[in-house]
Amino acid sequence: MKNYPVPLSKSDLMSVESPARYVGGEFNAVIKEDMMEELEKTGKTSYVRFAFCFPDIYEIGMSNLALQILYHVLNESDFVACERAFSPWLDMDKILRERNIALYSQETKTPLCDFDILGFTLGYEMCYTNVLQMLDLGKIPLLAKDRGEDDPVICCGGPCAYNIEPMADFFDIAMMGEGEEMILELCKKIREYKLSKSTSHPMSRQELLLACDAIEGIYVPSLYEVFYSKSTCSGKDGSEGKDPSGACVKPVSDGVKKTIKKRIIKDLDNCTYPTAPVVSNLRVVHDRSYLEVFRGCIRGCRFCQAGFIYRPVREKSVEVLCEQGRLLEKNTGYDEMGLLSLATSDYTRFPELAENLLSTFEGHHTSLSLPSLRLDSFSLDLMEKVQSTRKSGLTFAPEAGTQRLRDVINKNIREEDIFSALRLAFLGGWNTVKLYFMLGLPTETDEDVLGIADLAARIEKLYYDIGRETGQRMRRLEITVSTSLFIPKPFTPFQWEPQNSKEELIRKQRLLKDHIKSRNIRYAWHDFDSSVWEVVLARGDRRLAPVLLEGYKSGLFYDAWDDHFKFREWVEILERHGLTIEDFSREFSEEETLPWDHISVGVNKKFLLSERHKAHEEKTTPSCREHCSGCGAATWGVGECFAKGGES
Amino acid sequence: MLQSEREKMMTMQEHQKAYVQRASFMRSGATVFLGHLDLMTCFERACRRAELPILYSQGYNPRPMMVFALPLGVGIETTCDYLDVSLDRPYDADSFVKELNAFLPSGLQIIRSIAIPEPKDSIMSIVTTASYRFEAKGIRKAMTEAMEKETLIVTKMAKGKEKQTDIRPLLLSLSQASDGDPDAVDFYASAGSERNVRPDLILNSLSLYCGMDREVAENTRVIRTGLFAREYPRIVPIHEVEVRPL
Ligand code: SF4
Repeated sequence: MKNYPVPLSKSDLMSVESPARYVGGEFNAVIKEDMMEELEKTGKTSYVRFAFCFPDIYEIGMSNLALQILYHVLNESDFVACERAFSPWLDMDKILRERNIALYSQETKTPLCDFDILGFTLGYEMCYTNVLQMLDLGKIPLLAKDRGEDDPVICCGGPCAYNIEPMADFFDIAMMGEGEEMILELCKKIREYKLSKSTSHPMSRQELLLACDAIEGIYVPSLYEVFYSKSTCSGKDGSEGKDPSGACVKPVSDGVKKTIKKRIIKDLDNCTYPTAPVVSNLRVVHDRSYLEVFRGCIRGCRFCQAGFIYRPVREKSVEVLCEQGRLLEKNTGYDEMGLLSLATSDYTRFPELAENLLSTFEGHHTSLSLPSLRLDSFSLDLMEKVQSTRKSGLTFAPEAGTQRLRDVINKNIREEDIFSALRLAFLGGWNTVKLYFMLGLPTETDEDVLGIADLAARIEKLYYDIGRETGQRMRRLEITVSTSLFIPKPFTPFQWEPQNSKEELIRKQRLLKDHIKSRNIRYAWHDFDSSVWEVVLARGDRRLAPVLLEGYKSGLFYDAWDDHFKFREWVEILERHGLTIEDFSREFSEEETLPWDHISVGVNKKFLLSERHKAHEEKTTPSCREHCSGCGAATWGVGECFAKGGES
Repeated sequence: MLQSEREKMMTMQEHQKAYVQRASFMRSGATVFLGHLDLMTCFERACRRAELPILYSQGYNPRPMMVFALPLGVGIETTCDYLDVSLDRPYDADSFVKELNAFLPSGLQIIRSIAIPEPKDSIMSIVTTASYRFEAKGIRKAMTEAMEKETLIVTKMAKGKEKQTDIRPLLLSLSQASDGDPDAVDFYASAGSERNVRPDLILNSLSLYCGMDREVAENTRVIRTGLFAREYPRIVPIHEVEVRPL
C-alpha cells in the first residue's frame, strides 16, 4: 500500500499526544489505487468518495463495529471508495486550526471537503458537538441549508439517528436502521448525481435529496417542516410555538414519505461481514476482533432502547459464526475475540458456539471475551476456561433493588437466580462481584433505593456463610455497586417518563451511599450532569440546533469526555434560547405528538404505550421466546417472531 | 511490558527449546510514528496472522517471545534494526522473511533473517553502537560544530525528574552522507543498555549550542541505518555477530 504523507510537519505531528492516531497505514485498510491514479491524471473520478466519520478519538472509533462493517461493505463494492476520519484530539484540533489545514482522511489524507459524501455514526448523543467539530475542521458548512452543489452530502446513522431532530439542521440525510443495503442504495444515487454533473442535465442537490427520499429507511430532514406546540398537524398554526409540549413534523410536499421506516437485514448469514477488519497499529480501547452473533434482543427491558430499536431477533447460524470467527482470528492477529450481541447467553446454540470457537483457538493463545453472559453452571464453567474474564470478576445487572421495581422495568432477573448462580461461583473460588443498577427509574421509592444496599449486603452474607459451611478460608470479598441514572429514551415504553430532578437524584444517591456500610462493598456512581444533558439531546427536537451551534462555536465539544463537559455553560446557552432542561426531562403526555413520531422502528406506539401501562401496574411481559406479545416487529416476517413456525 | 522486563522473563523462565530467527527490518511511512510498545504489538500480530510457530512465554500472561535489539523512538525511521523471534521448530530463514512480510502493515518490512540457536547473550545486551543519518538544511555544519565541542549538556527526563547530561562523549564519529547529499550526515553514536543517546537529544543540543534553528532541528529526518556489537571502532553489524553453529 502506498503511503500518502500527512499534510503536517514532523514537528507538529510529534508535538501531539499520540501522533499515530493521525497517520493511517493500518493493516487491512483499503486504498483504491486505480482511483488515485485517475485523480492524479484527470483530477476527477467516477468513484463515489465516501468518508466514514467517527465523532470521537481514533482509539474509540477503531473499536466500533459499525465502522468496520460499513467500511467493508462500501469498499467491497466496485464504485465506492471509503476512507475513515476521526475527531482529532484538542492538541491536533489546535494545530489544524492554527495552520489552516483541513481535517483529512486516514487513508489518502484527502481533506473532508473533497469527498462526495460523509457518513457519521452516532452511537451516543454526547458526540453531537464533535460532528460539528469534524465538519468545521473539514471545511464544510455546518448547516445543511448553507451547503451548495460542490459540498459533500452529510449523512448519519446509528442508534441516535432514530431521533436526529436536535441535529436535523446539520445533516442532509439520516439513515434509519441497519445500513448494509441502504448505504449502497444511497451511494448509487450519489453516483448518479455526481455523473450527471458532466452531462447537459446536471441534477441539483435538491433533486438528489428527493431521489434519496425514495429509498426506504432514508430520512431527509429538510423535506419536513416542524412546529412545536399543543396544536397537532391539523393546523399550521405553529405561531404559539412557545409551549414546549407537542411536536409536529410534516412533509413539505406530497411526494415525500410521511413515515420513515427503519431497515433491517433479514438474513444475517448471507450478509457480508468484515472478517478482515482494519487492525489499528496503535493499541486501542478494546484490542480485539468482534464476532457479531445476533441482532435484536428477546427480552424487552422497558428502559432499554437497544432492546426495541433492534427488533426482531435474528441469529446467525453456528456454522457461519465459526467460519467467521476462524477468519477473524487469522486475518487480524488479535489475541482476543469478543462475541457481540445484546445478551450473548440468549443465543440459541450458545454452548455449541463457545465450545467450537475455543477448540478453534486451541494452542493459539487467543482468548474469548464474553460480555453479557447470564450466569449459570455452564457459563461459569466456560468462564473458568476463558482466563480473561476471571480477572474482571462476575457481573450482574439487576438494574433495580427490589423485585417490585424489576417487574416495573421488566428486567427478567430473579433474586433466586442471582443467589443460586453466586453460590456456585463462590464455591468455585470467585471473590469479585460487580452489580449494576439504575437510579431514578419510574415509580422508584426510597425502599427500592435501599433495596440495592440490602441486596449487596445479602450477597456479602452469602459469601461468608459459604465459608462457614464449607470450612474454607475465604479471601476478601470485593463487591462493587455501580449506579447509573435512568434516561428516558425514544422508542421505549418509558419514552414518556420524566427524569428525576437533579436534586432528587442526588438525594437518592446519598441515601444509598449512607446505607452501604461494609468495607467489602464499594459504591461507584455516575456523574449527574451528563445524564441530565443526555436527556435533553435524546428527547430533543429541532429547537436545539441553534443551541448546539452556539455551544460548539463557543468551544464546547468533546462532551462525552467528563473533563471537557461543561454543564453549566450548556444550560446557560439553552436558556438564552428560551428553553429549559425541564422542557425535555418533563413527563411527555400520551396525547402529544412526539418529536420522533414520524420515524418507525417497527415496534408500534400502541405497544409501547401498553407496555408503559403494564409497567405502572407492575406487570411483566414475557420474552419473545416464551410468547410473542405482538409488538409489530413481525411485519418483516423473519427471526424470533417466526422461530416457532407460527406468526404472532 | 518494558523491554528490560521482557529480557528478564525470557532468560529466567524455563521454556521449550527455541529456534531463533534473527531478523533485520526497516520502517518508514506511517509506522514511523508508533511508539516502541505499539511497534512490538504490530510485529506480534503480523506473526500471528502469518501463523508462524512462535513460542510464548510461560505464566499468567503469556506473550510471544520476541526481543528487539534496541527500542525505536517515535518519529525515527530505520533501514536496519533487529529483532529475535523464537519459534518452536527450525524454520527456513527465507520462508520466514517471505511469510512475515506478507502480513506486516505497510512501512514495516523484514530485510533478511538468519536462523540461529538460542543466543547465550540476549540481542539487547550486545548492542553498543548505532549509526544514524540526519537530513536537514544546515545539518552538516551544525553536526561538525557539535563534534568540535568539548561538552554538549542537555536536559533529559529520567524517572519524572529532569537531569543534566553530557552527550558529547556519546557521539563517536561524523562523516558526509554516503550519497553526497550536502544536507545530510552519517554518524555513529553509542547505543544499547549501557550508554545510549537518543537522536532527539542530539538535535536538541544542535539548536542549543550549534546555531541550528529549533524548528529545523525538530523537523530533521532521522534514520537509523545500523546497529552494531563490540567496542567502537571495531564494531560488527548485529547480523554478523558470531553465534554458535546450529
Ligand atoms: S413481534 Fe413478537 S416475537 Fe417479534 S419482536 Fe415483537 S414481541 Fe417479539
